[in-house]
Amino acid sequence: MRTPVRHRFVRLLAALGLTGVLLLPTLALPARAANPLVLRVGTLQSPDSINPWNASLVVEYEIFQLNYDLLVGFGDDLQPTPGFAESWTQSSDGLTWTFKIRDGMKWSDGQPATSEDARWTIAFALNSKKAGTTLGLGYIQDYFVDAGIDSVVAPDPQTLTIHTKYPTERVLSMDAPILPKHVWEKKSAATVGDFTNPAPIVGTGPYQAVEWKTGQYIRFARNPNYWGNRGAADEVDIRFFPDAQDTMVQAFKRGELDYIRNPSAQQFDQLKALPGVTAVEAPATGFTELGFNTYAKDIPGGGASTKALRDPAFRDALGYAIDKQAILDKVYHGKGTVGTTMVPPYYVQYHVDPTSPRTFDINLAGQKLEAAGYVLNGNGQRLDKDGKPLNLRLYFPNDEPSYATDAQFIADWFSKLGIKIKSQGMDTGALTDIQTAPEYDPKAKANYDLYIWGWAGDNNDPNTLLKIFLTSSIASAGTDSLYSNPQYDSLFKQQNEAPTADARKASMAEMQQLIYDQAPYHILVNDSELHVWRTDKFANWQQMPPGTGTPLFVMGALNYTLLTDATAAPTPAAPATPAASAAASAGPATVAPVTTPTPVTTPTPAATPAPAPADSSSGGTLLLLGAIVLVAIIAVGLVAWRGAASRRRKKEDEE
Amino acid sequence: MGGRYLARKLLQAIITIAFIILLNFLLFRLMPGSPDRVLARNLPLDVRQVLLERWGLDRPVFPDQFVAYVGATLQGDLGESFKFQGVSVTDVLAERIWPTLVLFGLGEMIAIVIGLALGAYSGWKRGGPVDYVGNGISLVLYSMPYFVIGMILLIVFSGGLGWFPTSGMLEMGATYGSFVDQLLDFLSHLALPLTTVAIGLIGQYSILMRASIIETLGEDYITTARAKGLTEGYVLRRHALPNAMLPAVTLVAINLGYVIAGAITVELVFGWPGLGTLTVEALNSRDYPVLQGVFLLLSISVVLANLAADLVYGLLDPRVRT
Repeated sequence: MRTPVRHRFVRLLAALGLTGVLLLPTLALPARAANPLVLRVGTLQSPDSINPWNASLVVEYEIFQLNYDLLVGFGDDLQPTPGFAESWTQSSDGLTWTFKIRDGMKWSDGQPATSEDARWTIAFALNSKKAGTTLGLGYIQDYFVDAGIDSVVAPDPQTLTIHTKYPTERVLSMDAPILPKHVWEKKSAATVGDFTNPAPIVGTGPYQAVEWKTGQYIRFARNPNYWGNRGAADEVDIRFFPDAQDTMVQAFKRGELDYIRNPSAQQFDQLKALPGVTAVEAPATGFTELGFNTYAKDIPGGGASTKALRDPAFRDALGYAIDKQAILDKVYHGKGTVGTTMVPPYYVQYHVDPTSPRTFDINLAGQKLEAAGYVLNGNGQRLDKDGKPLNLRLYFPNDEPSYATDAQFIADWFSKLGIKIKSQGMDTGALTDIQTAPEYDPKAKANYDLYIWGWAGDNNDPNTLLKIFLTSSIASAGTDSLYSNPQYDSLFKQQNEAPTADARKASMAEMQQLIYDQAPYHILVNDSELHVWRTDKFANWQQMPPGTGTPLFVMGALNYTLLTDATAAPTPAAPATPAASAAASAGPATVAPVTTPTPVTTPTPAATPAPAPADSSSGGTLLLLGAIVLVAIIAVGLVAWRGAASRRRKKEDEE
Repeated sequence: MGGRYLARKLLQAIITIAFIILLNFLLFRLMPGSPDRVLARNLPLDVRQVLLERWGLDRPVFPDQFVAYVGATLQGDLGESFKFQGVSVTDVLAERIWPTLVLFGLGEMIAIVIGLALGAYSGWKRGGPVDYVGNGISLVLYSMPYFVIGMILLIVFSGGLGWFPTSGMLEMGATYGSFVDQLLDFLSHLALPLTTVAIGLIGQYSILMRASIIETLGEDYITTARAKGLTEGYVLRRHALPNAMLPAVTLVAINLGYVIAGAITVELVFGWPGLGTLTVEALNSRDYPVLQGVFLLLSISVVLANLAADLVYGLLDPRVRT
């Protein structure tokens, strides 16, 4: 008896119903507006927060730079340009800056934007710091705090007056947003970091965030009240691909993205060759280093395995046994530059090459070690000054595959000097725990010798990289080498309070040379930013700085506003410079030709050996391969079946 | 089904969940690297102090943190995320749970139907061509990790042929003329991850079902049924299948628990915004509350799924009802 028809019908209905219920929530998804021209950007980072006080990742900076104006913006030549302020003058004694706030400027919600908003934002940051409260994670607040501001006044809606403690130009380069007082004034300083700043965000920047899906994307719509250039994009979408670099590159190839930041080196080289695509390798704000545990005090039951690590002569000698060029070529595929000082060349205003840089010469390294008192014993082992053979641990975080290869090279070179290296990858959390000193945590043992890690600096200021080597960083666990040098500390104070960029550079030059000679770090490579974008949808991609930099993920959001529609009328529009004004120092604006900017020539590697999956020909090949495998399985199956069948028949015949 | 059977199963489930809550707390505290330092490598000390105080991590683990945790959990308050400051864990989970449910719910349904049917047919016609071929393919698929299947599909169908989008759940910022358009977009994004999940699971079910059917067919009552003169189809459907399905029911129930866990790898490969990607993000940033929330959700769903399996087993098989 078969099941009655109505039972079968009920079961089918139930199955369909279940499917329907599962798909029901799609109804709740937000629908949207007309037919906009959208700029779709891909990045590997995913923001934790769109509250600007919490910004720490590059993508989080990019988000607030689109939403809000900085008091003073950045032109492509890195010179100050109009931002929230239209123009500015400095008093003759250098202690007062007067900013003109443009008349009639409005927030994206229609409220008037005046000097009171700027005054309030800056005062909020400064007063909270004075009261000992950090706003959010504190990085953005520090831009206001480190500018040497004494007080800020708004005598009338179009004027902002800033009094500084000493003559300084830092107020022109604060990479921090001016926030709308009417949205933020009720928040208390202690909990402002918890404010999620939900979309739609109110700002004076060119684009306002209207939707943020954590871990997926953030969408920006054009600010109807924006005072500056009208970029061709009606909408900007930034899509996140955490742990999914391959997916991001696939999406770009498929045309789902117009711009991507940091594909891998091999993917970059592949994409560069595609038509209608521009690829740029630009200096990044970060570097990869070999670090030493230079902690100068004894720790009972802990500390480095030898006092030799405290000796600058020892560290310096080891530097001659590192072939940085080989590491750059073999591990990083030539993407980047050989490391020198802890202020990477990206910081064109501040980077200074060291005098007499080290060469790669193992013999020389050996000689320097001997001269410093580290001799070889009869077994070819290098001894420290206590007569112990040098047996060093080399740790590195295991979230970055290149570190392991770097470690292999270094272990190999150091073994030629008679120094035994034991490499070990570890979890980043575990490693940060190890690299602490008793000043931070009385129970800390600082049980490590060498390590490989990397740092990234801020877009416009190397201060976060300089702070690594301060003595005070040991107590605040902001350093992994536990280095301490009073001379360095005073030089830092000097540069931080220097009146002009040139004066800062002079102090920083000394600091760079000092760290290079003392070598708590050997900077292996300076990282590169690898950006790829298509030129058939948007045109007039300006680079910051021109010719060598990238268009997006730089300081400010100027280049978003300079984009033009590539499919529009043929006459190439010269990029309109933002409403510049008299008293601004050196006018901004690169009037670069509209055609695709010249990419930086990268040392072209020999034909990439890695089989490149994912262009249509390989897709077809894979499909063919898959089909062959499938047919093979079926064939083998059939043959086996035949064989078994005939064996069975034979057995039956015999019986 | 006896009330005692039901009561016993419920009690077991409750005790298991209590134990899970305890383990949940301990497990994540054992991970090296405290969340404040992993959040950003060079946060100043005073900022970290404030964060530690807010997260309650500056108080001793026992009894303060533990009591606070248990108390809050029993009230349904899973705390606030460390990573997404100011957002409650329940909000974070709520946003991510239904994409996972859709993906794995539908995947399971498809895999169950196809896998069980394939396995049953293979076992029934043992030695036939379907058996050899089907078995071979099932073994291959069963042994392949989800992400390998996923990446191959992605490269061939998305990157290569361009039939499907590469990632995400909907076209980011797309405009839809009607609900049907939106549904179609959703389905085109769902196609590849769903295929990956279904393919991965079909292998398991078909092999299990095949073995189960073969074993059942050796039983005496099957011979009796055939001897009574019943048709092959009737014997299969009404005698063999119900008995062969029992191990399959167990396997299905266990897998249903993992629906919530959302095979992390599939979601990562396709950027599917579900609990899997959330777990990876939370792990990387030592977001204890979110991790605890996901773990709790996963554990409870496995316990409930097994409870359901026990009850269904009780319904299907009179022998275990006492």
